[in-house]
Amino acid sequence: MHMIQRSWKIGGIALLAYVFWTTFTVPLGPGLLELRNLERAAVVDGLDRKVAAYELIGLGTHWATRPEDLSVVLRKKENLTSLPVVEVIDDTHAVIGLAIPDTLPSRSWDVLINHPVDGTLFLQNGLFLNGVSVDETATWPALTLTEFPADLPHHFPFQPRIFETIRNLMLHVPMWFTMFLLMGIAFVASIRQLSQTSGGSSLFDLRAEASVQVGMVFGVLGLLTGSLWARYTWGAWWVDDPQLNGALVTVLVYAGYLILRGSVEDERLKARLSAVYNLFAFVILMILLMVLPRFTESLHPGKGGNPGFNSYDLDSSLRAVFYPAVLGWMLLGTWMYRIRLQATQLNQKLHRLNDQ
Amino acid sequence: MSVLSNIRFLLHHAIRVELRNRHGIAGLLVFAVAAVYTCYQVTGTHAEQESWNALAWVVLLFAGFNAVSKPWADDDEGVRAFLVHTVRPQEWLIARTLYYMLLLGTVSTVTFATFLLFLGMDHLSGWTAVHYYAGVLLTSTALASLLAMIQALASRAGGGFSLIAVLGLPLILPVILVSTRYGGDLMRGIAFADTAHHLLFLATLTAGFSALGYILFPYLWRD
Amino acid sequence: MMLNTLFQANPIEGFFFGSGKSMVVGGVAVIIIVGLGLWMWRMEKRIQQLDESASQHTDSPNESAEA
Repeated sequence: MHMIQRSWKIGGIALLAYVFWTTFTVPLGPGLLELRNLERAAVVDGLDRKVAAYELIGLGTHWATRPEDLSVVLRKKENLTSLPVVEVIDDTHAVIGLAIPDTLPSRSWDVLINHPVDGTLFLQNGLFLNGVSVDETATWPALTLTEFPADLPHHFPFQPRIFETIRNLMLHVPMWFTMFLLMGIAFVASIRQLSQTSGGSSLFDLRAEASVQVGMVFGVLGLLTGSLWARYTWGAWWVDDPQLNGALVTVLVYAGYLILRGSVEDERLKARLSAVYNLFAFVILMILLMVLPRFTESLHPGKGGNPGFNSYDLDSSLRAVFYPAVLGWMLLGTWMYRIRLQATQLNQKLHRLNDQ
Repeated sequence: MSVLSNIRFLLHHAIRVELRNRHGIAGLLVFAVAAVYTCYQVTGTHAEQESWNALAWVVLLFAGFNAVSKPWADDDEGVRAFLVHTVRPQEWLIARTLYYMLLLGTVSTVTFATFLLFLGMDHLSGWTAVHYYAGVLLTSTALASLLAMIQALASRAGGGFSLIAVLGLPLILPVILVSTRYGGDLMRGIAFADTAHHLLFLATLTAGFSALGYILFPYLWRD
Repeated sequence: MMLNTLFQANPIEGFFFGSGKSMVVGGVAVIIIVGLGLWMWRMEKRIQQLDESASQHTDSPNESAEA
């Protein structure tokens, strides 16, 4: 029994140590940033006319090793065309010649590259062409493109706009999971508090209080890490979004719970009233964070509307850190809750001693 | 006495007390009209669409909140001690919710009418105004179903207006989010059928709040 | 917008993750979390000791001692 008690606490800390270490040290995989018009012409071998030169910019790519194997492809649905590589400048910069017919089936194109080290990389709507005649029936002979994964050691996947901040996934999301767990503990404690026959102890009330207090810490941390992330990916500290509104309201509701506790003197009345309010709060939390966002469009990942990233395409490199992170934060949260509970109980005991 | 007649008696009693004390309800209406007039002073009849919507909901929300947060005659300890032994807590909560629905319905209708009168109906025409008004009424119903419970809780806790605000406003926010979005949709000319799911959502919230209150109120009530 | 992120992303790549500074940040984070764990461990022990000594002074037999 003692062993188990000790080991889950040590296990939680060990998991979090592993999570922090890997979060900051696993490199980010390669990706494409931009296909930029250089506003000059380029000469391409085997082509008698000059074509527009574009600069392809990657992040964390390795084009300087085996530059002759870099191939660039434009894609629109089934239409594929290969673009000639004029020059590989360094690992992350290459000049591409835009050798394409005058009549195109579309104006905007996805850009794909194949490289033996980086694998197949993809830039959605990477090329937009003004001043070309569009004929939607124009087709090209189908080109076969074999996609293959990168030949690189363990790395996090590259996501457009998120880049290195993908590491925040290990901090931000588990905060909310942990808050849910703690608020769930408080919810159960409140139900048990209310279902006691009258004259019962206020033990469950203390449990609910302690877990809401710790849960609030995680909620505030979730808001802060989320705000930082929003600043980077969406460009603002706060955006009007159902998920974010729900999170803020949840934190406010639980702040109301703590204020309510402060304003009632009588212990038994306090236990009952705050249990009632806590049940309200948890139901609201469920409505706000689980139900409402599913009915409205949202920028937030996993709820649609965001092309860059959603929580369903966690790949194995992320999972290997994300699941331990969730478990580790939950264990830490539970431990904090237990310490907080012991502290309040001790406090109560000392008060009673004082009164005697 | 049967359940229904109990509820009717309690409702009757509440309304009688309210009407006897005329300056209570007059104060609410003056508050609402003054708020609307302040908005009018600032924007005149040329409020832009978004501002019109925002002002309307802010005024309606706070007029409603004001109406609910004044002490309720039965919250007196003596009256409560009497009622505990005569009616079931659920009956009392239902009467109270119905009373708040009536009160908030009246206050928000008057407020909305004044608002239309002063700030003009440039952004709402014909049926849109009726749909908007339906949203206003459903919102005040949702507020009533939630605040009946919160008001009872706050008065049991012995806190005044500020406690109702602290406990109630965060819980109200989802309602306000839905109704402001609904109003905005109507004003932007989105067809009623495409935004009516907001009304459905308001009704669901009302039902949820009422059910939760119905289950939990007895715990507040007993000593 | 795209250029903006470009300027943000590239220096970070070179400076933070390329030069091994991320190792330092990761190390510091690990030290902080382990320190937090040790601190919580000591807190828990101390609270338990205080609780025991408080229980000896109270007459009521170990109420609310579970959990």
